[in-house]
Amino acid sequence: MFRLTTIRAATAALVLIALAAWSVHGDYLAREITAEIAILAILVLALDLVAGFGGMVSLAHGAIMGVGAYGYALANLAGLPPWPAALVGIVASTATGGVIGAISARLTGVFFLMVTLAFGQMIWALTFRADALGGDNGLGGIARPALPFVDSNDPLVFALYALLMLLACLLLCVAVLRSPFGHRFQAVHDNPARAAALGFAPERIRAQGFAISSMLAGVAGVLAAQHMQFVSPELMVWTASGEVLVVLILGGIGSVTGAMVGAAGYLLLKHWAAGWTDHWHLAVGLLLIAVVLAGGRGLSGLLERRRDA
Amino acid sequence: MKSTLAACLLATLALPAAADTTVGLLLPGSGNYAALGQDIEDGFRMALAEAGRDDITVIEADTEAKPQTGLTRARKLIMQDQADVLVGVVSSAVLAAVRDVVDGAGVPLIVANAGNDAATGADCSPFITRVSFSNSQLNRPMGEWMAAQGITSVYTLAPDYAAGQQMIGAFTAGFEAGGGKVVGGELTPFGKTEDFGPYLAKAKASGAEALYVFYGGADAISFVQQYDGFGLRDDMPLYSVGFLTAPLYLRSQGAAAEGVIGALHYLPMLDTPENMAFVTAYQAAHGGDLPSEYVVAGYDAGRLLLGALETGAEGRAAIAEALPKVAYDGPRGPLQIDPATNNIVQNVYIFETIKDDAGMSYRLLDTREQVRDAPNGCVMPG
Repeated sequence: MFRLTTIRAATAALVLIALAAWSVHGDYLAREITAEIAILAILVLALDLVAGFGGMVSLAHGAIMGVGAYGYALANLAGLPPWPAALVGIVASTATGGVIGAISARLTGVFFLMVTLAFGQMIWALTFRADALGGDNGLGGIARPALPFVDSNDPLVFALYALLMLLACLLLCVAVLRSPFGHRFQAVHDNPARAAALGFAPERIRAQGFAISSMLAGVAGVLAAQHMQFVSPELMVWTASGEVLVVLILGGIGSVTGAMVGAAGYLLLKHWAAGWTDHWHLAVGLLLIAVVLAGGRGLSGLLERRRDA
Repeated sequence: MKSTLAACLLATLALPAAADTTVGLLLPGSGNYAALGQDIEDGFRMALAEAGRDDITVIEADTEAKPQTGLTRARKLIMQDQADVLVGVVSSAVLAAVRDVVDGAGVPLIVANAGNDAATGADCSPFITRVSFSNSQLNRPMGEWMAAQGITSVYTLAPDYAAGQQMIGAFTAGFEAGGGKVVGGELTPFGKTEDFGPYLAKAKASGAEALYVFYGGADAISFVQQYDGFGLRDDMPLYSVGFLTAPLYLRSQGAAAEGVIGALHYLPMLDTPENMAFVTAYQAAHGGDLPSEYVVAGYDAGRLLLGALETGAEGRAAIAEALPKVAYDGPRGPLQIDPATNNIVQNVYIFETIKDDAGMSYRLLDTREQVRDAPNGCVMPG
């Protein structure tokens, strides 16, 4: 059962404040990386909701996020202003996730993994080959949203906007987990037999949880499209989903705040290591092994345990 | 001695105090395309070294051939490093990704590989100049040439992605305009086709006179070997856009590639003084290897930039304006930029892959002089 402990709240606040401070005082690249971290953190948060609390390890989240990004891009390119277009993107992701969830909710473990992988690959392949979607060349010329008083094309403004969105998603995630639905969702995972005996419909609850998670992935997709002002099937390829899973495990699965710690740690390590070697994946791999061997609770888990001891 | 010194002093004083030019190299340093990126960089640095200028700073940025990464790097080069000009871009997806950024920021980009027609067509920009090729530029003349050779029916094969679709589309347009007919074709799953047998069987069953394909990378090697193994050689000669048997793959293809006819914008055996000098210089620095068409593209990107700087252009806007006006005879022949699209105007060489005493080589069959793309919807701002 999820508890927003003091240390979790403090970690989340600390990461958000540190990132905001870094982008205010940092250079152009710092602001770009902050926006990247915020977007990845939202996507990891979405995956944590289903994988960490519902036991549904999905390999379709990259593709679901991509649907949101393409939904936003297509709606915007068709002439819709950014905010309604964002709604289109989020609805598209939620609907896609709803369908995938409804079909695969009865499966568990490796079977669930395989079915989501298949769905993700189908979405990727369709996009990759579709001439109308630009194929592998992607779509460009996407607008950023109009914000009151500030210009979202300013990297600093966009970084802070992305951090605000991350905070909103974080609060939404906590609210969902604390709601009666959230309790049922976790109960269905923790003890399916007892949950069924209490009259819950496990499949429906799992499918609904998957749709909510897909909605968050859609927010990440819309933000990614706004950030890059460009979308391509690269967003949806299954290794992108795998990367999200790696970041989740790195940060700490089932802890909510782990998403932020993982995303920040992963991208900072990537940009720092890529500066001096083409083999930065190796550094990430070694860190992942170390984190898993140290108890599998991720970077945020290590932090928490230190305090408990 | 004194007079020499004085002359030197005078020469130094006479030189304009030009500001340094910062070049951002947007090339894949890791991943599938790393070898191409290295070739382009070698060529580019070769041009700079020949000119002997020390007022050009080069900053490398690894695009990983991924559009998102390429875009992040391009933005960094423009915003943080204040690059005056960007050079490179191997993948068309990366080009599509950075197009709006360079156009919006007004930074000239010299494209050294990516061949997507749209970049100098509907999506053209006064800030994007291409010195490599466009997909149509190579495929359309090949279609026209094949029709002129009296070939009446062709079956086509290509990987199912944007470039594959575009290449076959341009070929079909050229071939059918010349009076030929494409009787059938198949787009094979991109990057996942290991067994071309079923497609070769379909091609054979179509009864077409010839087979026209586009494949690159590992596909190029396995396709040519399977075509050879399938025994289609006698019934259906193989034509392709020249990348199929490019120097990069020919060593692995061996005798299986014998007789394949293709079209490319550069061949290392071109018999011109400019090319001879270029090949000799490259071989001296690279252990006798022949330069690929990618080295030439990098080299010409450098020559184009140097040509623009020699006119006294300084800073982004002036360089962007000077780039399309540069023209010279280079390794691949006469080279100029079409002011209507900023795409290169160049010869396209039709060649046969042959086996000679030294191993595999090429024989020039025909030259399509100064091939120029139609504007394809490109409208340059006045």
